[in-house]
Amino acid sequence: MNLFSTSAMRLLDRRRFLSHTMTGLGSIALVHLLSCDGKLAPHGEESERIDDRLDDAVTHHPPAAKRVVMVYCTGAISHLDTFDYKPLLFERDGQPLPGAENLKTFQGAQGNLTRPLRDFRPRGESGKMTSELLPELGSLADEFCFLHGMTSRTNTHGPGETFMSTGFTLDGFPSLGSWVNYALGSENDDLPAFVAIPDPRGNPQAAGNNWGAAFLPARFQGVPFNAQRPVRFLQPEGGISASEDRATREFLQRLNRRHLERFPGDENLAARLASYELAARMQQTIPQLMDMSDEPEHILRMYGADQVDNPVKAQYARNCILARRLCERGVRFVQLFNGAYAMGEGVGNWDGHKELAQQYPGHAEILDQPTAALFRDLKQRGLLADTLFVFCTEFGRMPTFQAGASGRDHNPDGFTCMLAGAGVKSPLSWGATDEFGWKAMENITTVYDFHATILHLLGLDHERLTFYHNGSHRRLTDVHGHVIRPILV
Amino acid sequence: MSQWHQPKFDTVQINIFFTLCWRSLRPSATSWEGAADIRFQAGCLVVVLVTGLFFAPLISAQSIDFVRDVQPIFAEHCLHCHGPDVQESGYRLDVREIALRGGDLYPQLVNRERPAASPLLAILSGKDEDVTMPPDDEPLSRAELRTIRRWIEEGAHWPDAASVQLEPEQPLWSLTPPRRFDLSADATSRGDGLNPVDLWIAAKHCEVGLDFSPTADDRTLVRRLYLVVTGLPPSWEQVRQFMADRRSDKYERLVDELLASPRFGERWAQLWLDAVRFAESDGFETNHERPNAWHYRDWVIRAFNDDLPYDQFVRRQIAGDQFGDPAATGFIVAGTHDIVKGEDEDLNPTQRLNELADMVNTTGTAFLGLTVGCARCHNHKFDPISQTDYYAMQAVFAGVQHGEREVAPADLSQRLIQIDSLQAELGDVETALLQYVRPPVTHTSNVDNWNPTAARFLRFTIQRSSSAEPCIDEMEIFSSGDDSRNVALASAGTQVTSSGNYAGSPDIHRLEFIHDGVYGNSHSWIASTASDSWVQFEFPELVVIDSMVWSRDRSGQPNSYSDRLAIEYTVELSLDGLDWRRVASSQDRLGSHDLTVLIPEASDGERRTIAEHIAQLSERRLNLNRDLASLRTHPTIYAGRFEDPPPTFRLHRGEHRLPRETVRPQSLSAFANITGRFELADDATNAERRVALARWLTQTDNPLPARVIVNRLWQGVFGTGLVATPSDFGNLGARPSHPELLDVLACDFVEQGWSMKRLLRLLLTSKTFRQSSQPRTEGLNLDANSRLLWRYPPQRMSAEMIRDSLLSTSGSLDLTAGGPGFLLFEPNNNYARNWVPKTVFEPTDYRRMIYALKIRMEPDAVFSTFDVPDGGQVCPQRPMSITPIQALNLFNSQFVIDEAHRLAGELTDESSSVEGQIEKAFMRVLLRPPDDVERQWAAALATEHSLAAAVRALINSNEFLWIE
Repeated sequence: MNLFSTSAMRLLDRRRFLSHTMTGLGSIALVHLLSCDGKLAPHGEESERIDDRLDDAVTHHPPAAKRVVMVYCTGAISHLDTFDYKPLLFERDGQPLPGAENLKTFQGAQGNLTRPLRDFRPRGESGKMTSELLPELGSLADEFCFLHGMTSRTNTHGPGETFMSTGFTLDGFPSLGSWVNYALGSENDDLPAFVAIPDPRGNPQAAGNNWGAAFLPARFQGVPFNAQRPVRFLQPEGGISASEDRATREFLQRLNRRHLERFPGDENLAARLASYELAARMQQTIPQLMDMSDEPEHILRMYGADQVDNPVKAQYARNCILARRLCERGVRFVQLFNGAYAMGEGVGNWDGHKELAQQYPGHAEILDQPTAALFRDLKQRGLLADTLFVFCTEFGRMPTFQAGASGRDHNPDGFTCMLAGAGVKSPLSWGATDEFGWKAMENITTVYDFHATILHLLGLDHERLTFYHNGSHRRLTDVHGHVIRPILV
Repeated sequence: MSQWHQPKFDTVQINIFFTLCWRSLRPSATSWEGAADIRFQAGCLVVVLVTGLFFAPLISAQSIDFVRDVQPIFAEHCLHCHGPDVQESGYRLDVREIALRGGDLYPQLVNRERPAASPLLAILSGKDEDVTMPPDDEPLSRAELRTIRRWIEEGAHWPDAASVQLEPEQPLWSLTPPRRFDLSADATSRGDGLNPVDLWIAAKHCEVGLDFSPTADDRTLVRRLYLVVTGLPPSWEQVRQFMADRRSDKYERLVDELLASPRFGERWAQLWLDAVRFAESDGFETNHERPNAWHYRDWVIRAFNDDLPYDQFVRRQIAGDQFGDPAATGFIVAGTHDIVKGEDEDLNPTQRLNELADMVNTTGTAFLGLTVGCARCHNHKFDPISQTDYYAMQAVFAGVQHGEREVAPADLSQRLIQIDSLQAELGDVETALLQYVRPPVTHTSNVDNWNPTAARFLRFTIQRSSSAEPCIDEMEIFSSGDDSRNVALASAGTQVTSSGNYAGSPDIHRLEFIHDGVYGNSHSWIASTASDSWVQFEFPELVVIDSMVWSRDRSGQPNSYSDRLAIEYTVELSLDGLDWRRVASSQDRLGSHDLTVLIPEASDGERRTIAEHIAQLSERRLNLNRDLASLRTHPTIYAGRFEDPPPTFRLHRGEHRLPRETVRPQSLSAFANITGRFELADDATNAERRVALARWLTQTDNPLPARVIVNRLWQGVFGTGLVATPSDFGNLGARPSHPELLDVLACDFVEQGWSMKRLLRLLLTSKTFRQSSQPRTEGLNLDANSRLLWRYPPQRMSAEMIRDSLLSTSGSLDLTAGGPGFLLFEPNNNYARNWVPKTVFEPTDYRRMIYALKIRMEPDAVFSTFDVPDGGQVCPQRPMSITPIQALNLFNSQFVIDEAHRLAGELTDESSSVEGQIEKAFMRVLLRPPDDVERQWAAALATEHSLAAAVRALINSNEFLWIE
């Protein structure tokens, strides 16, 4: 019985010589760690044990971008009230959505079409229509490539967030940032290569799924911290003096070196030695990173970090500054969250089911100025030349209000994300939803396409960036995804 | 076969044809599926032959020639995507078998029996709802479509010579029966200390020019053995005892002792829990904890400790409810469960399919080492697992839902005996009490008597009901004297009022029904509240009354109602409706009895004796009832709920909106001629399905389960399995480093009764295990990973070993086993749980880490970063990362620093000199004294700063964290 295709068999033959040992993979991490330190040349056999992974920082093709800043609006920010302009929605305000007579979405029955919260007006030279809800981001319209034809595969937040961050709606798959880390490593060995910056109000719904490494070695996971909650255990707890700490580490490393003499050339043991040295350097570099006293007044003002009367905004602004500082220091992937779930539906995030008019202006105030400032700041410092700026959310919202409520239900069939910076055409609007903004109709962009394009801009082929796990050479894009070539420079 | 499809026949040819056909088919009938195919084709031949006989002249004039007419159409439109170079969806139109059968997405593209129903035609003509071919190019012309349709109608004749012949496929190595080898020869009798494991390892050494390393020193070996077997290091005292032991079999004795320790199961269960994605929360954004999921964790630990034979271990996890071990089915539902439901029509079916996929995937990988889950959307790309196989296994679990169920306790039979004896005693106690008290209220009839009393009013107050609002169907109040009559009747002019009436079912429950003279639930009164309700009768004139009879349901029907019983009540009389006098109550009835009412003045001796007797009996009765209630309460555990299975369909591309044919619960087709097969009827029960799978999985002729578990145990001992992909024995998985050894161990394992401890003993007592882990240049040059075991491969401890060893070394470890887990996070009740790691720990948090409540997808603050799996997907083998975050956690966290202080404090008490303290610290943590240099460094640190600083370094050292 031949149940599998010959193409598959051929692929298999190519892979058969590859080993699957996890210890081999573990060794990659430390080889990287040590080769960065110049302490150890990669072992001759490593390249064969590296499975499908790229050699350190060697890309499949020349990259346009060296790093990524991803702004993630959790709770599903409404494309209709922000960037996807639908004149008909203004005209038909209060009328039924054609073709949706018996439609039931996530929370149930639909009411009538409802016009966007604020008026839209043309921006920049392109004249792109965006909402007055987000004037600062709107003023950057010429800088963005808007992807208006995004679709998701789920209409629930947890799986949706997880899908946008991992390419799967299920738990247990590596995040985009950890894939990038796995492929490219860090430009700065004193800081983690992948940093997730949770919102000041708390974690997003899918929490660690957004930055977890799942079955990739733990080395590749994102380290979550923000301007309010620094890296855990960066300094010893319990009042240990700096001199005692130093002396203790010195003694530890002497013990470890002596132990290593009994296992000459053992890479794992050597990597642990190196890991304590790197940790010690992080004790220096991270406080410097977090200390914003060197930021001039006008920069704080530009981000809104001076607005003490709106503490959440000021804190989010500090997180935006932190994101820029991480980029400056060569961190490969920065994932910046706007919105948290802990306070409940729509209160601390963009999940506007019931009271859109009450909730959205507050959220917009927090998001708009600091995020736009982050973008401008990256640009004015020349970082945008090799940084990819990503603006995303898990799915969109309905053009109707929910029956008996003053807000919009989930809509996985059409929403907007943005790309900007290195390698991306702008101004550009790619893809479109229907005339009411309900379903993507033109140049539909799946999350897989979105991920494939991000990887492509980093010089990576999404079909070749794989990791063997339990019977599959897993990819970020599963078996899907096409690079959206028309939006590339 | 197709060379026989000639358009012209005579009867002689037909006879010859059938004879040849039958002969040629029989040997190739290697699988049941193949046989079905042959039957079908033979039937088809008859049609062709008959058609050929009668209509041959007509058809032959216009008949389609494949090479001339059809092949060029394929070549022009199809072969660039489905040909020799590219095979989209695993489909190709240059190989006859594949072209007719279909690729990954369709089981039979050409239907010779019903040509018009061939999916190939629908796809080419744009009538298939999912796929239109060619995709972007011009569609086939009408003439081309007609040609293909006629070709199929004529039997889809395709000459051998016009088909590319594929080389016969190699059978999957892991499906071949394991080769046997006699292991019974006592290894030690060979005199060279080699046990059978060593023979095969040595054989491989010979091939590549390696040799064993010398035996490890006692201290290293004992520490290694403790860690590998129990997950905990030995104490210095245990090491010293071993070194002082002069018996020649001291090592084997220690192996046996440790395998018998309850700590063994706590270490080895983790390996299994990883492989079956066990966690104690739902996952996804809500991620609610599962407070009763620990039963399965404890079951796995117990199974290892009791050395439950592996075949039973497997069977019970699939169908433990049918094998008297219900907690084991926690396996099936140990994965994620999305509890966020919505109104959207796609949401719930998709969630359900994901749950089932998780069950199928875990079952396939855990027991068979086959990634059956990969065949959900299409045939497996690499292994002989069809999409139908996937749905056949899904059908086995179709009736299993996530959730808790009440299960019979393990000690049910003992409980039943106990219940019988307590019940008998209770009978005696109640009989004794009934000397003094009235029987309890019944639903059929209750009588209350009092001395004849004149009254205008009677009030019946109900303090407590047996359940819900109390119900009374009729209340009769009798006048005293010879002409006693029921004065309560409405017909007698009596008025009735109440504290409130139940609003529901007014046709059958009304206040006036309480005195209408009609019995039964359908003419009854229900109060509006469950307690403190009353009903009051006002007689038309003053009457002298002395008794009443009342009931819940006096209909006399066999299933009369016995709920809503007024079990505590008071009867009061009044002349004016203002002053009331109590004349009867439940306080002298069994169960509600009140000693102070029964015997208000226990002054004299006799009364006191009676009162004491009643008190004694009452207390005994109370205790008996309490004990009985607890014995009758069965635990509720997260081990799945079982329902009637709905039909299972093969889903095109795995999408719930594209159901195809129904699929029955069946064994995997690739095993058909190895194990035989099971196929159950569509209406097979949930239990039948799982029992069939459980039995099939553990047939002794199934080559995979034994190989897979033997390999997992090997992995637990040596760090890497003989097969480095422990849950994937398919084509994409690794090949065994020592295939003969794997087979030898697997055969022996089954023959010797599937004992995991026995196998482990064999591995642990091998020379291979006892070698030193020191590197040797020639070994490193030839085999840097030590896969050929020229030394014991040194490994970093797992996260659990690190935490447990740390606590064990500092003396903080709480060895309480089993039961609900401790929480590493702050408890919280958010709908979407917000799991924040704890910073302050309770004494109960110092148990072994396997007893921590495992929250899915949430790393704990300190130890998870040492590659603890997240529980999202299965984790057959943990990666081994080394990161600076690990260093920060272990060097700086309060949890670890506290342990350093605790140990330092203890050592300071024990010894006054710094040197002495340092000496003890090394022995405690590293199980050896320091050498002079180390002593000098450590003393300097302790003198200048603190002993705790030295301890903090020692518990961070590679030597402490490594299994050497």
